[in-house]
Amino acid sequence: MAKLNSTVIYEFIVTVFLACWFLLTILNQFKDTKLAEFIRVKIDVFALIPLWTFFAPRPGKTDYHLLYRDKITEEQYSEWCEMDITEERTFWSWFWNPEKRDKKILSDVVQSLVSCIPDYRKATGNTNLLMFSMPYIIVLHAVSQCKKQSPNVYRQFMLAETSGYQETNPPALILLSVFHQI
Amino acid sequence: MIVLTNITQLVLMILSVGLFVSTLEYIKKIQIFAPNGLLSWNVMQLNWGQRNQKTLLKPFFKLFSQSGLSTLFVIRCLLLVGLVFFPLQSVFGWVLISLLAVSLLTSSLITRYGSDGSDQMSMLIVITLVLCHLPGLASPRLADIGLWFIGLQACLSYSVAGIAKLASAEWRASTAIRDVFSTKTYGSKKATLFLQKYPAANGFLCWNVMIMETLFPLCLFLPWPYAMIFLIWGFTFHFFTALIMGLNSFFWAFMATYPALYFINHQMPWHLF
Repeated sequence: MAKLNSTVIYEFIVTVFLACWFLLTILNQFKDTKLAEFIRVKIDVFALIPLWTFFAPRPGKTDYHLLYRDKITEEQYSEWCEMDITEERTFWSWFWNPEKRDKKILSDVVQSLVSCIPDYRKATGNTNLLMFSMPYIIVLHAVSQCKKQSPNVYRQFMLAETSGYQETNPPALILLSVFHQI
Repeated sequence: MIVLTNITQLVLMILSVGLFVSTLEYIKKIQIFAPNGLLSWNVMQLNWGQRNQKTLLKPFFKLFSQSGLSTLFVIRCLLLVGLVFFPLQSVFGWVLISLLAVSLLTSSLITRYGSDGSDQMSMLIVITLVLCHLPGLASPRLADIGLWFIGLQACLSYSVAGIAKLASAEWRASTAIRDVFSTKTYGSKKATLFLQKYPAANGFLCWNVMIMETLFPLCLFLPWPYAMIFLIWGFTFHFFTALIMGLNSFFWAFMATYPALYFINHQMPWHLF
Protein backbone atom coordinates (compact mmCIF):
# COMPACT_ATOMS: atom_id res chain seq x y z
CA MET A 1 0.00 0.00 0.00
CA ALA A 2 2.83 2.37 0.96
CA LYS A 3 4.55 1.65 -2.38
CA LEU A 4 1.33 2.32 -4.26
CA ASN A 5 0.98 5.67 -2.50
CA SER A 6 4.53 6.73 -3.22
CA THR A 7 4.05 5.71 -6.87
CA VAL A 8 0.92 7.81 -7.16
CA ILE A 9 2.54 10.80 -5.45
CA TYR A 10 5.62 10.53 -7.68
CA GLU A 11 3.43 10.21 -10.77
CA PHE A 12 1.52 13.33 -9.73
CA ILE A 13 4.70 15.35 -9.09
CA VAL A 14 6.31 14.38 -12.42
CA THR A 15 3.07 15.03 -14.33
CA VAL A 16 2.73 18.51 -12.80
CA PHE A 17 6.42 19.19 -13.54
CA LEU A 18 6.04 18.16 -17.21
CA ALA A 19 2.81 20.20 -17.52
CA CYS A 20 4.60 23.30 -16.14
CA TRP A 21 7.52 22.68 -18.50
CA PHE A 22 5.14 22.49 -21.45
CA LEU A 23 3.32 25.65 -20.33
CA LEU A 24 6.61 27.56 -19.93
CA THR A 25 7.63 26.38 -23.43
CA ILE A 26 4.40 27.83 -24.85
CA LEU A 27 4.90 31.13 -23.00
CA ASN A 28 8.53 31.31 -24.15
CA GLN A 29 7.41 31.35 -27.80
CA PHE A 30 6.14 34.93 -27.32
CA LYS A 31 9.76 36.00 -27.24
CA ASP A 32 9.29 39.77 -27.15
CA THR A 33 7.18 39.73 -23.99
CA LYS A 34 8.58 40.47 -20.52
CA LEU A 35 7.39 37.08 -19.31
CA ALA A 36 9.40 35.27 -21.99
CA GLU A 37 12.45 37.36 -21.09
CA PHE A 38 11.93 36.52 -17.40
CA ILE A 39 11.75 32.81 -18.28
CA ARG A 40 14.94 32.96 -20.36
CA VAL A 41 16.99 35.06 -17.93
CA LYS A 42 15.78 33.99 -14.49
CA ILE A 43 14.36 30.47 -14.81
CA ASP A 44 16.10 28.76 -17.69
CA VAL A 45 19.62 28.24 -16.28
CA PHE A 46 20.24 25.09 -18.37
CA ALA A 47 18.59 26.27 -21.62
CA LEU A 48 15.83 23.68 -21.23
CA ILE A 49 12.95 25.87 -22.34
CA PRO A 50 13.14 26.01 -26.12
CA LEU A 51 12.23 28.72 -28.57
CA TRP A 52 10.92 26.85 -31.59
CA THR A 53 10.70 29.68 -34.16
CA PHE A 54 13.35 28.26 -36.51
CA PHE A 55 14.39 30.69 -39.28
CA ALA A 56 11.35 32.89 -38.58
CA PRO A 57 10.06 35.51 -38.62
CA ARG A 58 13.34 36.89 -40.04
CA PRO A 59 15.35 34.18 -41.80
CA GLY A 60 19.13 34.65 -41.56
CA LYS A 61 19.93 35.75 -45.10
CA THR A 62 23.40 37.17 -44.63
CA ASP A 63 26.80 35.78 -43.75
CA TYR A 64 28.70 37.43 -40.96
CA HIS A 65 32.37 38.30 -41.28
CA LEU A 66 34.75 39.05 -38.45
CA LEU A 67 37.86 41.03 -39.39
CA TYR A 68 40.65 42.57 -37.35
CA ARG A 69 43.67 44.80 -37.80
CA ASP A 70 46.52 46.06 -35.59
CA LYS A 71 47.77 49.54 -34.91
CA ILE A 72 51.53 49.30 -35.44
CA THR A 73 52.37 52.99 -34.88
CA GLU A 74 50.13 56.03 -34.50
CA GLU A 75 49.87 56.32 -38.27
CA GLN A 76 50.56 52.79 -39.43
CA TYR A 77 48.02 49.98 -39.45
CA SER A 78 48.20 46.39 -40.61
CA GLU A 79 45.92 45.04 -43.37
CA TRP A 80 42.50 43.74 -42.35
CA CYS A 81 42.56 39.97 -41.74
CA GLU A 82 39.42 37.85 -41.69
CA MET A 83 38.72 35.11 -39.16
CA ASP A 84 37.49 32.03 -40.98
CA ILE A 85 33.86 31.63 -39.89
CA THR A 86 31.89 30.72 -42.99
CA GLU A 87 33.65 27.65 -44.31
CA GLU A 88 31.90 25.70 -47.07
CA ARG A 89 30.58 22.29 -46.07
CA THR A 90 31.84 18.93 -47.30
CA PHE A 91 29.79 16.14 -48.92
CA TRP A 92 29.55 14.30 -45.56
CA SER A 93 28.21 17.29 -43.63
CA TRP A 94 24.71 15.75 -43.71
CA PHE A 95 26.02 13.16 -41.24
CA TRP A 96 29.27 14.49 -39.79
CA ASN A 97 29.51 18.25 -39.43
CA PRO A 98 31.81 19.37 -36.60
CA GLU A 99 32.43 22.70 -38.35
CA LYS A 100 28.90 23.79 -37.60
CA ARG A 101 29.81 24.39 -33.95
CA ASP A 102 32.33 27.20 -34.60
CA LYS A 103 30.02 28.78 -37.14
CA LYS A 104 26.99 28.56 -34.85
CA ILE A 105 28.90 30.00 -31.87
CA LEU A 106 30.11 33.01 -33.83
CA SER A 107 26.76 33.41 -35.53
CA ASP A 108 24.99 33.37 -32.11
CA VAL A 109 27.50 35.79 -30.62
CA VAL A 110 27.29 38.19 -33.55
CA GLN A 111 23.49 38.04 -33.63
CA SER A 112 23.41 38.68 -29.90
CA LEU A 113 25.75 41.63 -30.37
CA VAL A 114 23.77 43.00 -33.29
CA SER A 115 20.49 42.69 -31.42
CA CYS A 116 21.73 44.65 -28.41
CA ILE A 117 23.28 47.55 -30.40
CA PRO A 118 19.92 49.44 -30.71
CA ASP A 119 19.31 49.07 -26.95
CA TYR A 120 22.70 50.57 -26.12
CA ARG A 121 22.19 53.38 -28.65
CA LYS A 122 18.76 54.12 -27.18
CA ALA A 123 19.97 54.06 -23.57
CA THR A 124 23.22 56.00 -23.88
CA GLY A 125 23.18 57.59 -27.34
CA ASN A 126 26.27 55.62 -28.34
CA THR A 127 27.64 52.08 -28.19
CA ASN A 128 30.51 52.69 -25.76
CA LEU A 129 29.04 50.47 -23.05
CA LEU A 130 28.63 47.66 -25.56
CA MET A 131 32.25 46.67 -24.92
CA PHE A 132 31.25 45.43 -21.46
CA SER A 133 28.68 43.04 -22.90
CA MET A 134 29.30 39.29 -23.01
CA PRO A 135 29.13 38.90 -26.82
CA TYR A 136 31.55 41.81 -27.34
CA ILE A 137 34.04 40.24 -24.90
CA ILE A 138 33.78 36.86 -26.64
CA VAL A 139 34.46 38.45 -30.05
CA LEU A 140 37.35 40.50 -28.65
CA HIS A 141 38.78 37.41 -26.95
CA ALA A 142 38.52 35.47 -30.23
CA VAL A 143 40.33 38.11 -32.31
CA SER A 144 42.92 38.74 -29.59
CA GLN A 145 44.03 35.10 -29.89
CA CYS A 146 44.93 35.53 -33.57
CA LYS A 147 48.58 35.92 -34.53
CA LYS A 148 50.16 39.22 -33.47
CA GLN A 149 52.98 41.07 -35.25
CA SER A 150 54.51 42.29 -31.98
CA PRO A 151 53.96 41.36 -28.30
CA ASN A 152 52.02 44.49 -27.34
CA VAL A 153 49.67 45.59 -30.04
CA TYR A 154 46.43 47.50 -30.22
CA ARG A 155 43.81 45.56 -32.11
CA GLN A 156 40.55 46.67 -33.67
CA PHE A 157 37.82 44.38 -34.99
CA MET A 158 35.08 44.88 -37.51
CA LEU A 159 31.84 42.97 -37.96
CA ALA A 160 30.44 42.97 -41.48
CA GLU A 161 27.75 41.13 -43.39
CA THR A 162 27.44 39.96 -46.99
CA SER A 163 24.61 38.44 -48.97
CA GLY A 164 26.31 35.07 -49.51
CA TYR A 165 26.40 33.45 -52.96
CA GLN A 166 23.93 35.90 -54.49
CA GLU A 167 26.25 38.90 -53.98
CA THR A 168 23.31 41.18 -54.68
CA ASN A 169 24.29 43.72 -52.01
CA PRO A 170 27.74 45.10 -51.22
CA PRO A 171 29.27 44.10 -47.87
CA ALA A 172 27.81 46.16 -45.02
CA LEU A 173 29.48 47.29 -41.81
CA ILE A 174 27.76 46.22 -38.57
CA LEU A 175 30.22 47.33 -35.92
CA LEU A 176 33.70 48.83 -35.79
CA SER A 177 35.37 48.50 -32.41
CA VAL A 178 37.85 50.85 -30.80
CA PHE A 179 41.51 49.73 -30.56
CA HIS A 180 42.09 47.42 -27.61
CA GLN A 181 45.49 46.70 -26.11
CA ILE A 182 45.99 42.93 -26.20
CA MET B 1 21.41 -6.52 -26.21
CA ILE B 2 18.05 -4.77 -26.09
CA VAL B 3 15.09 -5.38 -28.42
CA LEU B 4 13.44 -2.42 -30.14
CA THR B 5 9.82 -3.43 -29.60
CA ASN B 6 9.34 -0.91 -26.83
CA ILE B 7 8.46 2.59 -28.08
CA THR B 8 10.38 4.39 -25.33
CA GLN B 9 13.44 2.31 -26.11
CA LEU B 10 13.11 3.19 -29.79
CA VAL B 11 12.98 6.91 -28.90
CA LEU B 12 16.14 6.50 -26.85
CA MET B 13 18.02 4.53 -29.51
CA ILE B 14 17.33 7.02 -32.31
CA LEU B 15 18.30 9.88 -30.01
CA SER B 16 21.46 8.05 -28.93
CA VAL B 17 22.74 7.88 -32.51
CA GLY B 18 22.39 11.66 -32.85
CA LEU B 19 23.91 12.36 -29.44
CA PHE B 20 26.84 10.04 -30.20
CA VAL B 21 27.61 11.87 -33.46
CA SER B 22 27.11 15.27 -31.82
CA THR B 23 29.42 14.37 -28.90
CA LEU B 24 32.13 13.11 -31.28
CA GLU B 25 31.79 16.43 -33.16
CA TYR B 26 32.45 18.28 -29.89
CA ILE B 27 35.50 16.07 -29.24
CA LYS B 28 36.78 16.89 -32.74
CA LYS B 29 36.36 20.61 -32.04
CA ILE B 30 37.52 20.50 -28.41
CA GLN B 31 39.87 23.44 -29.02
CA ILE B 32 36.89 25.78 -28.82
CA PHE B 33 37.04 25.22 -25.04
CA ALA B 34 40.82 25.83 -24.82
CA PRO B 35 42.05 28.99 -23.03
CA ASN B 36 42.35 30.66 -26.45
CA GLY B 37 39.15 29.10 -27.79
CA LEU B 38 35.81 30.70 -28.59
CA LEU B 39 34.11 29.25 -25.52
CA SER B 40 37.09 29.52 -23.20
CA TRP B 41 36.01 29.27 -19.58
CA ASN B 42 38.21 32.33 -18.88
CA VAL B 43 35.58 34.32 -20.75
CA MET B 44 32.43 32.26 -20.32
CA GLN B 45 32.61 32.37 -16.52
CA LEU B 46 31.92 36.12 -16.72
CA ASN B 47 28.43 35.09 -17.76
CA TRP B 48 27.89 33.65 -14.30
CA GLY B 49 29.66 36.39 -12.37
CA GLN B 50 26.50 38.36 -11.70
CA ARG B 51 24.40 35.35 -10.87
CA ASN B 52 23.52 33.95 -7.49
CA GLN B 53 24.03 30.47 -8.87
CA LYS B 54 27.80 30.94 -8.92
CA THR B 55 28.34 29.36 -5.47
CA LEU B 56 25.92 26.55 -6.24
CA LEU B 57 27.56 25.74 -9.55
CA LYS B 58 31.17 26.22 -8.41
CA PRO B 59 31.94 22.46 -8.16
CA PHE B 60 31.07 22.09 -11.86
CA PHE B 61 33.38 24.90 -12.92
CA LYS B 62 36.50 22.73 -12.56
CA LEU B 63 35.13 20.63 -15.38
CA PHE B 64 35.07 23.43 -17.89
CA SER B 65 38.69 23.23 -18.96
CA GLN B 66 39.59 21.66 -22.29
CA SER B 67 40.71 18.44 -20.59
CA GLY B 68 37.72 18.37 -18.22
CA LEU B 69 35.26 18.67 -21.06
CA SER B 70 37.17 16.10 -23.16
CA THR B 71 36.74 13.64 -20.30
CA LEU B 72 33.07 14.53 -19.98
CA PHE B 73 32.45 13.95 -23.70
CA VAL B 74 34.33 10.63 -23.72
CA ILE B 75 32.29 9.47 -20.70
CA ARG B 76 29.12 10.54 -22.52
CA CYS B 77 30.08 8.39 -25.51
CA LEU B 78 30.64 5.40 -23.20
CA LEU B 79 27.25 5.99 -21.55
CA LEU B 80 25.59 6.03 -24.96
CA VAL B 81 27.29 2.76 -25.92
CA GLY B 82 26.18 1.28 -22.57
CA LEU B 83 22.57 2.19 -23.35
CA VAL B 84 22.70 -0.17 -26.35
CA PHE B 85 23.20 -3.08 -23.96
CA PHE B 86 21.06 -2.09 -20.98
CA PRO B 87 17.35 -1.29 -21.47
CA LEU B 88 15.97 1.87 -19.92
CA GLN B 89 13.64 -0.20 -17.75
CA SER B 90 16.57 -1.86 -15.95
CA VAL B 91 18.14 -0.18 -12.93
CA PHE B 92 21.55 -0.02 -14.64
CA GLY B 93 19.99 1.41 -17.82
CA TRP B 94 18.31 4.12 -15.73
CA VAL B 95 21.60 4.94 -13.98
CA LEU B 96 23.28 5.29 -17.40
CA ILE B 97 20.64 7.65 -18.78
CA SER B 98 20.65 9.68 -15.55
CA LEU B 99 24.41 10.16 -15.88
CA LEU B 100 23.83 11.12 -19.50
CA ALA B 101 21.33 13.75 -18.37
CA VAL B 102 23.84 15.12 -15.83
CA SER B 103 26.53 15.34 -18.51
CA LEU B 104 24.17 17.18 -20.89
CA LEU B 105 23.05 19.62 -18.21
CA THR B 106 26.64 20.28 -17.14
CA SER B 107 27.92 21.00 -20.64
CA SER B 108 24.88 23.21 -21.35
CA LEU B 109 26.32 25.73 -18.86
CA ILE B 110 29.23 26.47 -21.19
CA THR B 111 27.64 25.84 -24.60
CA ARG B 112 24.94 28.49 -24.31
CA TYR B 113 26.33 30.04 -27.48
CA GLY B 114 26.49 27.47 -30.23
CA SER B 115 23.77 25.11 -29.08
CA ASP B 116 20.59 24.82 -31.12
CA GLY B 117 17.05 23.45 -31.09
CA SER B 118 18.27 19.89 -31.56
CA ASP B 119 20.36 20.12 -28.38
CA GLN B 120 17.30 21.38 -26.51
CA MET B 121 15.08 18.63 -27.90
CA SER B 122 17.71 16.03 -26.95
CA MET B 123 17.93 17.31 -23.35
CA LEU B 124 14.17 17.50 -23.13
CA ILE B 125 13.81 13.84 -24.19
CA VAL B 126 16.60 12.55 -21.94
CA ILE B 127 15.29 14.34 -18.82
CA THR B 128 11.74 13.16 -19.51
CA LEU B 129 12.92 9.55 -19.83
CA VAL B 130 14.90 9.84 -16.57
CA LEU B 131 11.90 11.22 -14.67
CA CYS B 132 9.38 8.78 -16.12
CA HIS B 133 11.43 5.62 -15.55
CA LEU B 134 12.72 6.02 -11.99
CA PRO B 135 13.05 2.42 -10.72
CA GLY B 136 10.65 1.56 -7.92
CA LEU B 137 8.52 4.66 -8.30
CA ALA B 138 7.68 5.16 -11.97
CA SER B 139 4.57 3.37 -13.24
CA PRO B 140 3.77 2.23 -16.81
CA ARG B 141 1.25 5.10 -16.90
CA LEU B 142 4.03 7.59 -16.17
CA ALA B 143 6.06 6.15 -19.04
CA ASP B 144 3.04 6.84 -21.28
CA ILE B 145 2.78 10.40 -19.93
CA GLY B 146 6.46 10.88 -20.83
CA LEU B 147 5.77 9.81 -24.42
CA TRP B 148 2.82 12.21 -24.56
CA PHE B 149 5.07 15.04 -23.35
CA ILE B 150 7.74 14.28 -25.98
CA GLY B 151 5.16 14.00 -28.78
CA LEU B 152 3.36 17.19 -27.78
CA GLN B 153 6.66 19.12 -27.62
CA ALA B 154 7.46 17.90 -31.15
CA CYS B 155 4.04 19.06 -32.40
CA LEU B 156 4.45 22.40 -30.62
CA SER B 157 7.87 22.90 -32.21
CA TYR B 158 6.62 22.33 -35.76
CA SER B 159 3.47 24.33 -35.22
CA VAL B 160 5.22 27.34 -33.68
CA ALA B 161 7.83 27.29 -36.45
CA GLY B 162 5.05 27.19 -39.07
CA ILE B 163 2.97 29.98 -37.51
CA ALA B 164 6.07 32.19 -37.08
CA LYS B 165 6.84 31.68 -40.78
CA LEU B 166 3.25 32.45 -41.81
CA ALA B 167 3.56 35.72 -39.88
CA SER B 168 6.71 36.64 -41.79
CA ALA B 169 6.40 38.75 -44.94
CA GLU B 170 9.60 37.22 -46.32
CA TRP B 171 8.25 33.69 -46.02
CA ARG B 172 4.91 34.66 -47.54
CA ALA B 173 6.73 36.40 -50.40
CA SER B 174 8.52 33.08 -51.08
CA THR B 175 11.98 34.61 -50.81
CA ALA B 176 13.03 33.19 -47.43
CA ILE B 177 14.38 29.79 -48.53
CA ARG B 178 16.21 31.30 -51.52
CA ASP B 179 17.84 33.84 -49.19
CA VAL B 180 18.79 31.29 -46.53
CA PHE B 181 20.15 28.84 -49.12
CA SER B 182 22.26 31.59 -50.64
CA THR B 183 24.23 32.08 -47.40
CA LYS B 184 27.47 30.20 -46.86
CA THR B 185 26.41 29.56 -43.25
CA TYR B 186 23.24 27.56 -43.97
CA GLY B 187 23.06 27.27 -47.73
CA SER B 188 24.92 25.79 -50.65
CA LYS B 189 26.04 26.95 -54.06
CA LYS B 190 24.19 24.10 -55.82
CA ALA B 191 20.92 24.88 -54.02
CA THR B 192 21.29 28.58 -54.88
CA LEU B 193 21.87 27.80 -58.55
CA PHE B 194 18.91 25.38 -58.59
CA LEU B 195 16.57 28.00 -57.13
CA GLN B 196 17.85 30.61 -59.60
CA LYS B 197 17.17 28.20 -62.48
CA TYR B 198 13.69 27.19 -61.23
CA PRO B 199 12.20 30.24 -59.44
CA ALA B 200 8.83 28.50 -59.02
CA ALA B 201 10.51 26.10 -56.62
CA ASN B 202 10.92 28.99 -54.13
CA GLY B 203 7.18 29.38 -53.75
CA PHE B 204 6.59 25.65 -53.57
CA LEU B 205 9.25 25.11 -50.89
CA CYS B 206 8.27 28.10 -48.72
CA TRP B 207 4.53 27.32 -48.73
CA ASN B 208 5.18 23.60 -48.37
CA VAL B 209 7.21 24.21 -45.20
CA MET B 210 4.77 26.79 -43.79
CA ILE B 211 1.63 24.67 -44.35
CA MET B 212 3.07 21.32 -43.28
CA GLU B 213 4.76 22.72 -40.16
CA THR B 214 1.62 24.59 -39.08
CA LEU B 215 -0.66 21.60 -39.65
CA PHE B 216 1.78 19.06 -38.22
CA PRO B 217 -0.21 18.45 -34.97
CA LEU B 218 -2.94 16.93 -37.17
CA CYS B 219 -0.78 13.80 -37.23
CA LEU B 220 -2.12 13.09 -33.73
CA PHE B 221 -5.77 13.22 -34.80
CA LEU B 222 -5.80 11.73 -38.29
CA PRO B 223 -6.23 8.01 -38.95
CA TRP B 224 -2.76 6.47 -39.00
CA PRO B 225 -2.35 6.07 -42.81
CA TYR B 226 -3.05 9.81 -43.24
CA ALA B 227 -0.96 10.76 -40.19
CA MET B 228 1.94 8.96 -41.88
CA ILE B 229 1.94 11.66 -44.57
CA PHE B 230 3.13 14.17 -41.96
CA LEU B 231 5.81 11.85 -40.61
CA ILE B 232 7.12 11.02 -44.09
CA TRP B 233 7.14 14.75 -44.86
CA GLY B 234 9.04 15.39 -41.61
CA PHE B 235 11.59 12.70 -42.43
CA THR B 236 12.16 14.18 -45.90
CA PHE B 237 12.29 17.73 -44.52
CA HIS B 238 14.93 16.87 -41.91
CA PHE B 239 16.92 14.77 -44.36
CA PHE B 240 17.15 17.67 -46.81
CA THR B 241 17.92 20.26 -44.12
CA ALA B 242 20.77 17.98 -43.04
CA LEU B 243 21.92 17.56 -46.64
CA ILE B 244 21.64 21.18 -47.80
CA MET B 245 21.98 23.15 -44.56
CA GLY B 246 24.26 20.82 -42.58
CA LEU B 247 21.72 20.56 -39.72
CA ASN B 248 22.53 16.89 -39.08
CA SER B 249 21.72 16.84 -35.36
CA PHE B 250 18.15 18.06 -35.98
CA PHE B 251 17.48 14.91 -38.01
CA TRP B 252 18.19 12.54 -35.11
CA ALA B 253 16.66 14.68 -32.35
CA PHE B 254 13.36 15.10 -34.20
CA MET B 255 13.22 11.57 -35.63
CA ALA B 256 13.49 10.37 -32.02
CA THR B 257 10.14 12.02 -31.28
CA TYR B 258 8.31 10.19 -34.10
CA PRO B 259 7.77 6.90 -32.20
CA ALA B 260 6.08 9.05 -29.51
CA LEU B 261 3.80 10.55 -32.21
CA TYR B 262 2.93 7.02 -33.36
CA PHE B 263 2.14 6.11 -29.76
CA ILE B 264 -0.13 9.14 -29.19
CA ASN B 265 -1.92 8.62 -32.49
CA HIS B 266 -2.70 5.02 -31.52
CA GLN B 267 -3.83 6.05 -28.03
CA MET B 268 -6.23 8.70 -29.32
CA PRO B 269 -9.78 7.67 -28.43
CA TRP B 270 -11.10 9.29 -31.63
CA HIS B 271 -9.80 10.48 -35.00
CA LEU B 272 -10.95 13.23 -37.33
CA PHE B 273 -12.58 10.81 -39.78
